[in-house]
Amino acid sequence: MDSLGYELSWYLRIAWLLPLLGFAIEVFGGYWGTRKTKTAAYLAIGCIAAGFVLSTVAFCRWNAETGAFSHSGEAAVHEEHASLRHIPFAGQAAVADHAEGHAAEHAEHGSGEHVHGEHASDGAEHGGAQHDEHHAEHQSIAALSGTIYTLGKFGDLEVSIDYYIDSLTILMFMMVTFIATCIHIFAVGYMSDELTEDYVDHFAHTSDGHHVHRPGRFYRFFSYFSLFSFSMLGICFAGNIFQVFVFWELVGICSYLLIGFYTERKSANVAANKAFIVNRVGDFGFIIGLMILWTYCGTFKFGDYEVDGHERPGLFSMVRGHDGELAQQGSDVILKTHGHDGHWQAPQEGESKTIPYTLLVVAGLGVFGGCIGKSAQFPLQTWLPDAMEGPTPVSALVHSATMVAAGVYLAGRFFPVFTTEVLLAIAYVGCITLFIAATIAIVATDIKKVLAYSTISQLGYMMLAIGLGGWAAGLFHLITHAFFKSLMFLCSGSVIHGCHHEQEMPKMGGLRRKMPITAYTMLVGVIAIAGLAIPGTGQLMSLLTFGAVDKPLAFSGFHSKDAIVATALAYTQLNPLHFLLFLTPLVTAGITAFYMFRLWFYTFAGDPRDHHVYDHCHESPKVMWVPLVVLSFFAAFCAANGEQGSLFGMLSFSEPVGLADGMTATGTAAIAVPSHHAVHDVHGTAGAVALLAAVLGTLTAYLLYCRKVVDPENIRNQFSGVYNFLVEKWQFDNLYDAAFVRPSHSVARWCAACDRNIFDAILHGSVKVCIWVATIDRKFDEGIVDGLVNLIGNVTRSVGLSLSVFQTGRMRQYVMFIAVGVVTLFALLFAFMPKA
Amino acid sequence: MSSFGELLNNLVAETTQRSLCHFSPELALSGTIVILLLMRLFGSIDRWIPPYFTALVGSLAALGLCGRQLLDLLNDGAASEEFFSGMLVFDPFGAFVRGLLALFLVLVVALTVLTGIPDREDGPDFYALLFGSTIGMMIMASANHMLMFFMGIEMASVPSYAMVGFLKGRTKSSEAAFKYVVYGAGAAGVMLYGISLLMGLLGTGTLVSETMPDMASNLQLAFAGTTGIGSAASMTLLLAVLMVMVGLAFKLSLVPFHFWCPDAFQGASAEVAGFLSVGSKAAAFALLVRFCLSFVGGETAVLPEIFTGFGVALGVMACVTVTFGNLAAYSQTNAKRLLAYSTIAHAGYMLMAVSALVVVLAGGPGAGLSEGVIGETAQRCVEGLLFYLFVYLFMNLGAFAVVALLRNHTYSEEIDSFNGLGWQAPALCICMAVCAFSLVGLPPLGGFWGKLVIFMSVFKAGDVHWFMYVMLVIGGLNTVFSLFYYVRMLKAMFITPAAEEARPIEVPAAIGNYALLLAIPVLLLGIFPTWTTNLAQRVSEVLVP
Repeated sequence: MDSLGYELSWYLRIAWLLPLLGFAIEVFGGYWGTRKTKTAAYLAIGCIAAGFVLSTVAFCRWNAETGAFSHSGEAAVHEEHASLRHIPFAGQAAVADHAEGHAAEHAEHGSGEHVHGEHASDGAEHGGAQHDEHHAEHQSIAALSGTIYTLGKFGDLEVSIDYYIDSLTILMFMMVTFIATCIHIFAVGYMSDELTEDYVDHFAHTSDGHHVHRPGRFYRFFSYFSLFSFSMLGICFAGNIFQVFVFWELVGICSYLLIGFYTERKSANVAANKAFIVNRVGDFGFIIGLMILWTYCGTFKFGDYEVDGHERPGLFSMVRGHDGELAQQGSDVILKTHGHDGHWQAPQEGESKTIPYTLLVVAGLGVFGGCIGKSAQFPLQTWLPDAMEGPTPVSALVHSATMVAAGVYLAGRFFPVFTTEVLLAIAYVGCITLFIAATIAIVATDIKKVLAYSTISQLGYMMLAIGLGGWAAGLFHLITHAFFKSLMFLCSGSVIHGCHHEQEMPKMGGLRRKMPITAYTMLVGVIAIAGLAIPGTGQLMSLLTFGAVDKPLAFSGFHSKDAIVATALAYTQLNPLHFLLFLTPLVTAGITAFYMFRLWFYTFAGDPRDHHVYDHCHESPKVMWVPLVVLSFFAAFCAANGEQGSLFGMLSFSEPVGLADGMTATGTAAIAVPSHHAVHDVHGTAGAVALLAAVLGTLTAYLLYCRKVVDPENIRNQFSGVYNFLVEKWQFDNLYDAAFVRPSHSVARWCAACDRNIFDAILHGSVKVCIWVATIDRKFDEGIVDGLVNLIGNVTRSVGLSLSVFQTGRMRQYVMFIAVGVVTLFALLFAFMPKA
Repeated sequence: MSSFGELLNNLVAETTQRSLCHFSPELALSGTIVILLLMRLFGSIDRWIPPYFTALVGSLAALGLCGRQLLDLLNDGAASEEFFSGMLVFDPFGAFVRGLLALFLVLVVALTVLTGIPDREDGPDFYALLFGSTIGMMIMASANHMLMFFMGIEMASVPSYAMVGFLKGRTKSSEAAFKYVVYGAGAAGVMLYGISLLMGLLGTGTLVSETMPDMASNLQLAFAGTTGIGSAASMTLLLAVLMVMVGLAFKLSLVPFHFWCPDAFQGASAEVAGFLSVGSKAAAFALLVRFCLSFVGGETAVLPEIFTGFGVALGVMACVTVTFGNLAAYSQTNAKRLLAYSTIAHAGYMLMAVSALVVVLAGGPGAGLSEGVIGETAQRCVEGLLFYLFVYLFMNLGAFAVVALLRNHTYSEEIDSFNGLGWQAPALCICMAVCAFSLVGLPPLGGFWGKLVIFMSVFKAGDVHWFMYVMLVIGGLNTVFSLFYYVRMLKAMFITPAAEEARPIEVPAAIGNYALLLAIPVLLLGIFPTWTTNLAQRVSEVLVP
């Protein structure tokens, strides 16, 4: 069992299960330890850090086998190592000895593991001109999958715990465990005021107006964190869509628990409920998608698998085969099976399994509906800002870096099943979301709310990219965003901690003098998200790094946003009708820069606006600022060299097959997807325009909030209509309240009234009748029978006779009943018997 | 002279070789009684060996013997066999009921060990009474002659009078015992009158016999061709049967002969009440079935109208009893009194099976049912009754045991005293919940199947007489009524908080285990009813061919 997939699955499996172990122990922390111990935190950190180490090991093994990371950057190197990287699919002619070994291993361990050849693209080819030939020649591994445990079998159908490992899985593991480790450490400092037997919650009041006193919940916080880490890693590890769904819901419940962590606060409760219920709306679609796929495809598995020695296609192979094309037949899509030449191909007519095209679209939309809920996309974006009621580390880990990213991750993971119509829907949803959220962020004054809206907006970018076929670009942004957004959230956490739970930016200002580390690490994050770069420094960088890097000096956000905007531009060139998909993200890039710098200037620059806050403010302890520094390093440099860099290369190594060449306009939507080549061609233009927009946004913010050229107050008054519209979050909450909440309340009230007035009345009535009959019966038994007896007894007692006389009186009565009974019975029988 | 000697020799041989062998469980119990009494007589043996130990060993021996007899009978496929000159009968039905009684005795003795009633001084007395009463019940179960019929009932009753009043010095207890005695004597008197009428009319007291003239055959001779109650003889017969029924109705506490029951149960300790509620019921039902079969179990139905009418009368009695018991239980505050009314109600349910049996056997041929259908329906009636008795043993004893065990900690048998005990004595309260829900007849507990089989046979008997459908509806409705008052006890245990001043109790593990020992069979019988129904079916096949 030394094959690669098996080995990797073990590293990741342990990394995945360790937090669960941690949770199982920590959850009892309140019983085992005192409220003042940090043991739970150390345990949680240990578990997640060990997970990170294991993920790194898996990463190294993967890289060593495939070269996905280390060889991605250079087209020339790629040429030489082609044979190393491309491990042939079983049944194919082996290209090199090394590869042959794997093919043999695969044959041996066939039942346990599958090497997928359908993802033939490789990221390194963006730079080279010859990628077309390579693509045609080689079947390379892009993913490994297998089954760990079969939960149940229903005839041919099977529900199991699977794994599906590709570059994306491994990068997600690395990213999640790393960021989670940083945030765990940060939280030790942030949550330290919970280390007490008597925590006073200043935001929650008892009915008599006092603050709520309660025991600290330090251990509980970390046990939730561990459970969350487990669930999130479970999503990344999952090898079938059902398993994803299970962990999807687990992540949801963790989010619920963490948003409502301060259960005594009504606002926290409401926010937790809102998040949970809104997510259910999306999950409804998810379940519909699952049902369609289960019905028509008969499997949930992503990757191919074997049953009794027969190769069976997983979902991806069924829909896309090895060439990435949908096989349409009339209004149906043929699900591919194993062909004679080892490819997944559409079988001959008549014997094929098919799925109606519309249902495939509905399934895709349904699963994407789940993503909309989880990633807070339009129209389900309303829960995420409210979710900021949780402690700030929660916002950082759960609501910016990982959980909300799960929606994007699933959209990327499930990409092969999405048809062009679904992709277009994804693109527009992302496009609308990114614009709406960015505009609201302009007027938000709560430091966490600004970040929350920026998160929604950035997730919109990712969805947009995936919808446009820029698979790698979207997930690239997912990784970079995770770094800089967690950084910024932790910085805001540091500010909030330092300012004693003050979150309103108008009360801050000038804080950089009090908390320099927080301020400047935050600045790194702001520059990264704004997408600023120094133009023309490409040559300089090339010189400095001996040609390894030839991109201009910029932080990670620049590169990833650049990739998205470039994809959008190439896309609109092919589909001019959808020009908004390019214009909106471009404009929003400027808005993003504007509101992020507004936040920074508002908080850290200028003069203090509220001296009370300012005077009591202090820099956070070391345990909090060290994670900031570490994260800011990665936020700055993780995407070094952009699309020629290792990170992007590794991602595009596992890109769904067929994307590199683009797609020609087919199907009802008539949408063409640009090839990598086309994207590369417009890259320079797109980058320049995007940078221009970002610089404009930055300058505006500088002028408005630092130089105070125009008082923002005036603008606000001038455009009060727009301003209020934005402050009211485009009226979405009010709209939903009027459209859904209040109607369902009135229906509920009606039902309750119905229940109370009709059903309860019937029930109470019957109970009353029953009681009434029983009472009469009791009265008969006690009043007449016993009463007679007692009467005699009482009378005799009052006369003063002895006890024996009293009892004789009762007995006579009793014995008399025997005689009366016999006579009555006989009389009755005699009356009813036939006389003849 | 020689013929007398031969007769004597035959009698001795038959007695020693066969009858005593069949009588071995009763002998084991009698032996135990003797040992118990002698142990106290001879110095201090019972200081070394506690009386309950002897009692436990004796009852276990009886159980083993009964079990072996039942197995032997079923394995050999033997039909019934008379012994002691036809006074008693040895058949699977009798063996089953006697086994049931022996098992019950073991459980009751175990319960008394745990509750500490009787104390060490009174032990031999109490166990002698308990065992004596059980012997009487076993004789009831195998009686084949009106003499043994009466003997059995009296042997079972007299010690139970004493047991009801066993809590000496408690007025309530003595009063209850006294009421029980007088009532029992009254009922016995009426019954004895009925027996003498019956034997006078028919010229024999043997219920069923292969070799001797029995009541069935004499009935045929005397009343062949007679229909209805036109003649004085048939009217006298009906009166006699009715009077005998009074004696049984007293034992079964059927309305309107139930007055003793709540008083006696409330006055007696819960252990004794539990014993009376199950043991005497089981024996009396066995006797009732035998008594009825002696009239309607023959090859050809004699006086079908009269006995169909009798069966319907039993049905009416059953309906009244069930309804009365359930409704009266509703307003009780004392747990034992409540359970007494519940006992009355359950006697009603079981009487429904007997009523259906009589109606089917007496009226079946007239209603045009084929012999096979009649036989099968009758078997199903007996099967239902036996299964019900088996489940009833566990669930009713369970309920009484919990009351007895909790009384030792709360010093009260009022329902209010159970408040909030659900968390303090979870095993006991869960046992109570299981037993109560089984008494209601909720699946998946044994009580559900008991009721179901009885109701099914009643439904089939509906082909013969429409009243059976009415009975079915009343039985069903009563099942619903009964839910309320059982749940009231559970509500006290699990929902109502304990009173402020109540002292928290702690129940030893052994007691909890005993409660579970009773609750688990109730559950098992509900999940795997076929184990017992198959047995009951084989038993009833022999009884009702």
